[in-house]
Amino acid sequence: MLLIDAIFIGLLEASPLILAAMGFTLIFYLNGFMNIAYAESITFGAYFAVLFNVVLGLHFYMAIIPSMLLSGAFSVAVYLAIFRPALNRGVGPTEMIILSVGVSFMLRYGVILVVGPENLFLNEPSITYLRFLGMGATNLQLVALALVLLAAGVLYWMIYNTGLGEQMRGLANNRELAMASGINPHRTSVAIWFIAGCAGGLSGVFTGVFAQVTPYMGWNVILITMLVTIVAGVGSVRGAVIAAIAAGILTAFITLVTKPLYAEVILLTAFIGVLTFRGARTA
Amino acid sequence: MDYLIFSLSLMFVYIGLAQLLHIQFGMAGIPNFGVVGFWGIGLYGTGVLYVNYGVPLLPAIVVASVLSMVIGYIMALLVLQRSGQAILAATLALAAVIATLVVSEKELTGGVQGLGTIKFPFDGVDSRNLIFMLFILAVVLALIWLSSRLRDSRMGRQLVAIRDNEELAASLGKDTAATKRLVFAITCGFMGVLGGMSAPLHQFLVPYQLAPSLTFAVWIALVLGGKGHNLGAMIGVFVTFGLFDILIETYAPVPAEQAILLPNFKLFCYGVLLVMIIMFRPKGILGEDKPRVADAAAGKG
Repeated sequence: MLLIDAIFIGLLEASPLILAAMGFTLIFYLNGFMNIAYAESITFGAYFAVLFNVVLGLHFYMAIIPSMLLSGAFSVAVYLAIFRPALNRGVGPTEMIILSVGVSFMLRYGVILVVGPENLFLNEPSITYLRFLGMGATNLQLVALALVLLAAGVLYWMIYNTGLGEQMRGLANNRELAMASGINPHRTSVAIWFIAGCAGGLSGVFTGVFAQVTPYMGWNVILITMLVTIVAGVGSVRGAVIAAIAAGILTAFITLVTKPLYAEVILLTAFIGVLTFRGARTA
Repeated sequence: MDYLIFSLSLMFVYIGLAQLLHIQFGMAGIPNFGVVGFWGIGLYGTGVLYVNYGVPLLPAIVVASVLSMVIGYIMALLVLQRSGQAILAATLALAAVIATLVVSEKELTGGVQGLGTIKFPFDGVDSRNLIFMLFILAVVLALIWLSSRLRDSRMGRQLVAIRDNEELAASLGKDTAATKRLVFAITCGFMGVLGGMSAPLHQFLVPYQLAPSLTFAVWIALVLGGKGHNLGAMIGVFVTFGLFDILIETYAPVPAEQAILLPNFKLFCYGVLLVMIIMFRPKGILGEDKPRVADAAAGKG
């Protein structure tokens, strides 16, 4: 029974993480560096939702799509303005991470300077508590889970079954060969950064509606996203989904049997252990 | 005056941390994103020994630093032969584990309520904070001197060889893994020393001090100043901490309403500076310096 509870709670809690991990993995796979500024795609998604939902007064469900698209567009803008020039200059992978830390600081504290440091709240749709096979969840949680699973499914399909996904995998594995085969790296990259930004934004909207919208919300999940991605193997979107679900269920399980704080400790230690035995060996 | 001494002491601690990171990343190529973790082991280790067990300050710092070194060595055994990105994530995770443990182990660390008070050593002497500041300064200057000696030494050149091409260095018969582990553990131990020395500066320890922002501040300073230059850490800390935290926060006439936003503005500027430097001057303000011995040898040969 404990196990079923853990799986259920874990899936509910992990749903934004699955999206974030997929988006993060896409960029990691395509460009070969961990983009810490991806945290800000998540944060900005939530802030865009505040803009549409609270400032412009749209219904929460109506605000999801435009927030997601804006977040994607924003991600592309950051890519074109900063990351693409840096990649063209031949900045190494570790320096790219440091650069992304810089971008992350710039955006996060830029938001605080513009919007203010206060925590904001989204206007939730009316909440009803549903019981389902002996387990309880709110309608919002179930909608979030369904939407996230749908988005994750579409993303997954796109990567493994469409031309764009094939182009991306080609570019990631052998850039010269892909370009010689007529793949336009510029267009593919823009598309991937857009999709990754959308996934991050959607993840942020749901993280924001379950709790609150803060400038640090993306930062709070980026560490776990990074670890999930690395453990999953460089650029394996399949692996990222599995690792994100496993992380969610593990966290829920440990939280049920001991203190929540220990869940974090055990999870992070487990990650370090996994890295030790099957870490990505690529530079 | 007391506040200025506090700020300067803290600045010296930052310079020391950035200098150690220069050895770890600039020389050996190990991206340690867990600086605050090793510093924090020193800080809280010292605090717990001093407050809960009544150990005098200096022995407490030594014990805490040894602990930090041991944990650094274990970490090195676990992940140092992995890719840079894996090391980065693992050290970041270690720092998060330590910060969480400090919150959860309330009996030992006081949890979120904090742990205190840790007093300056040299009981009964006037202006103990000033003396302690000079003590920190001496340690930091010693670190800078040591790392310039390391740069000119056989081991320093071995580290650079490992950083640039580990397989090649290993094929020349160097035990690259052991060298890296040793250097990493010792530098982590010194981060613990600096943490222990920060304990009386803060006097009262709270888990908030273990937030990753310290790691990033040190990284930004090092990359800004020049990660491959022996004085890069110092220059970087002057430009970031010295300029913003000391000059602007203390002396700039900022109206009270805006003063709340000042730390955010500072971090925003750090981000912009970091982006600019990596885009336009990736080796930092000072660039890279060459070991003296190698130059002399080249001249003779």
